[in-house]
Amino acid sequence: MSTVARLVYSYFMCTPMTRALTLGGLALYVFSLYVMASWPQSEHMLAFAAAGQIALFLGSAMMPLMFGRIAQSKAMVLLPHGRLKLLFSALITVAIIAAPAGLVTPFAYVAGNSGKFSDLSKYPQLRDFTVNLGLVIYTSSCILAGWLYVAMWFLSSQRNMAGLAKGLLVIVFTLFLPAREIRELSGTIAWNLQALAVVWTIFGAGFLCWPRLRMVRAWWRLPDLLGTQTSARRTSGREVDLILGTRNPWLMIAALTLPLVIASRIGTGVPAVWLFFLTIFSTVTGAIAGQAAERSRALWLRRDWSRAEIFLQAERSFWRHNSVVLGVLLALMVMIGSYSGLPLNLLAAGIPLLVLGTVLSTYLGFMITRGIRWPEASLGIAIMLALMAIPLLLEAGNANLAVVCAIEGCLAVLAFILRSIARRRWEQIDWSQCRPAKVLSTRQA
Amino acid sequence: MNDMAVQASHLSKSFGPKRVIDDLSFEVSRGDVIGVLGKNGAGKTTLLELMLGFTPPSGGAVSVFGHASGQLPGGVKSRVGFVPQQDELLDQLSVADQLKVIASFYGAWDANLIERLCAEWRLDPKARIKSMSVGERQKLSILLAFGHRPDLLVLDEPVASLDPMARRQFLEQLVDASADGQRAIIFSSHIVSDIERLANRIWILKDGRLDWHGDLDSLKESVVRLHIRGAAQVLAGLSVPGALSQRHEGAFATVVVRDWTPARQHSIEESAAVEVEVESLGLEEIFLELHR
Repeated sequence: MSTVARLVYSYFMCTPMTRALTLGGLALYVFSLYVMASWPQSEHMLAFAAAGQIALFLGSAMMPLMFGRIAQSKAMVLLPHGRLKLLFSALITVAIIAAPAGLVTPFAYVAGNSGKFSDLSKYPQLRDFTVNLGLVIYTSSCILAGWLYVAMWFLSSQRNMAGLAKGLLVIVFTLFLPAREIRELSGTIAWNLQALAVVWTIFGAGFLCWPRLRMVRAWWRLPDLLGTQTSARRTSGREVDLILGTRNPWLMIAALTLPLVIASRIGTGVPAVWLFFLTIFSTVTGAIAGQAAERSRALWLRRDWSRAEIFLQAERSFWRHNSVVLGVLLALMVMIGSYSGLPLNLLAAGIPLLVLGTVLSTYLGFMITRGIRWPEASLGIAIMLALMAIPLLLEAGNANLAVVCAIEGCLAVLAFILRSIARRRWEQIDWSQCRPAKVLSTRQA
Repeated sequence: MNDMAVQASHLSKSFGPKRVIDDLSFEVSRGDVIGVLGKNGAGKTTLLELMLGFTPPSGGAVSVFGHASGQLPGGVKSRVGFVPQQDELLDQLSVADQLKVIASFYGAWDANLIERLCAEWRLDPKARIKSMSVGERQKLSILLAFGHRPDLLVLDEPVASLDPMARRQFLEQLVDASADGQRAIIFSSHIVSDIERLANRIWILKDGRLDWHGDLDSLKESVVRLHIRGAAQVLAGLSVPGALSQRHEGAFATVVVRDWTPARQHSIEESAAVEVEVESLGLEEIFLELHR
């Protein structure tokens, strides 16, 4: 039990940043109770709870990565009941992450109806209803958090097209379905518990049996469907792109296609949400630039380029790659949007939005020359929130296009600033600070 | 053309408050085969990366073939080969493709040499890099640094994952490479016997400083073990300047000293009325004694 507790503690507290986010998230939740109890009713009264939930979730962001690393380590084979303990630690983390949302729900419901917290003890029916609602929210949050961790694990640990595709697929799948359950309040505890039981049983069984399954997989090794294997013949003249990882934009497009199709299938009924997903996709295309600095190290001794020139070459290489992906994304947006009869203003605002998503994430990625630290992390979160706010603003009935244009204008200016910061950083890049932290996928002979 | 491969003057490097390299000055000429020794965290990798401009110095300067390492022109870069501690191979390629990709960066590439070494080192050109063992990846990394026949070869722990056979083949290749006396080779390793076998100069890094640098013979003459025989009271109070470690038992004492010169033997024998016998040490023992 102490191992599980230690693991869970480490997930939340292992770095100063996660510690700050976890404690900050809890503090925001407590403060949100005060707001609900003492402030007048307002549509924004849940803002602190929402911020607390995001902070708490980000505070546990190391969980999928640590879980994956430990699960793949050789030591896991030797530790007594290692996989079982690791599985429990993940389960408990999900349960903890979802708890505040469920706990706050009864109070939020009362406050949202201009009631007092004491009403909960006065009126048993109200108490039962809100507790039931809290349990629905709690179980829905458990489902959502579990899948989001899976998505984060794919995106952060695999760091290749296959991981990207899997992560995006999970995001689209999970952000949509439970969110709809919560929004329409049609979910039931029984349904959620069944979903939780099925998902965790399958995941748990798969995880515990993985060492055996891996042996089976080794016999039945699947061919490389995404075509990630490369030959020098096909890349002749584009060796720099190969080293920077921008050789083939079609891999990225292939990775985006399935999540995009699913998002379109579900999302065109809710245009703003659909645009919201497209925005996420556009930022992902630029996010691979986060590896540019560490990959460019291999170019230093092999090309007659200064650090500044390496930046310009990397920038050129990434834009060759990203412009194809962005072009396809824009074309799909217009095609699917027009076919589905989406509002014209949404499509018009969507074009610069996707361009901005790619540009900003690319330069934010270029800025990462010494790992992700506070400035990059907070800037990334702020940019994502700003980008995501635009579809939501457009969804509002009285959408003010001037405000949307102003936000997009500010983001465009920000892109220039990020580029100039990135360029300055690359001019003084210290490659000893951005060594690849890769896990060698090697098999001992 | 500048014949000095590397020149450093008051070179230092700090990461935050931690000073990793502290005021180093040195020169590396053609024909030098330098073995860099140091404990983990002594600053070996940082020093090698500073030399080649991967990381800018916090103080001082370092140049490669007369050019500041932070602004190496293409002509100089093509004369440098580097084997990093952690390989930078592209997992999705095959061995042959990886070699072709890297060869494309250089005007001259000795395909025959690489083909021969691939055969000798039993590297299958068709093998996928992602399916190779750590040792095989290391062999390939070494080949990538050899192919353009660099004038300066820098290797950061190149043999750490090689089996004894591959290590021997690698060392033979290094001997071949250095035989014409036109190349400078700098390599770090924890395998002291390899350095002893190959290097003609030794750098011992300790806490970011060059604790000792010079040729191997000088080092062996400088750090020695003294077997001293004399009266017990004399030995109990005996203080030998430059002593790294000292033990005594009755009428016998053993002292390891640095900065030893034959003249000091007479001085100790006469001043303390003792008999001194000098024993040479192997490089591994010297390294251990210097790090006590």
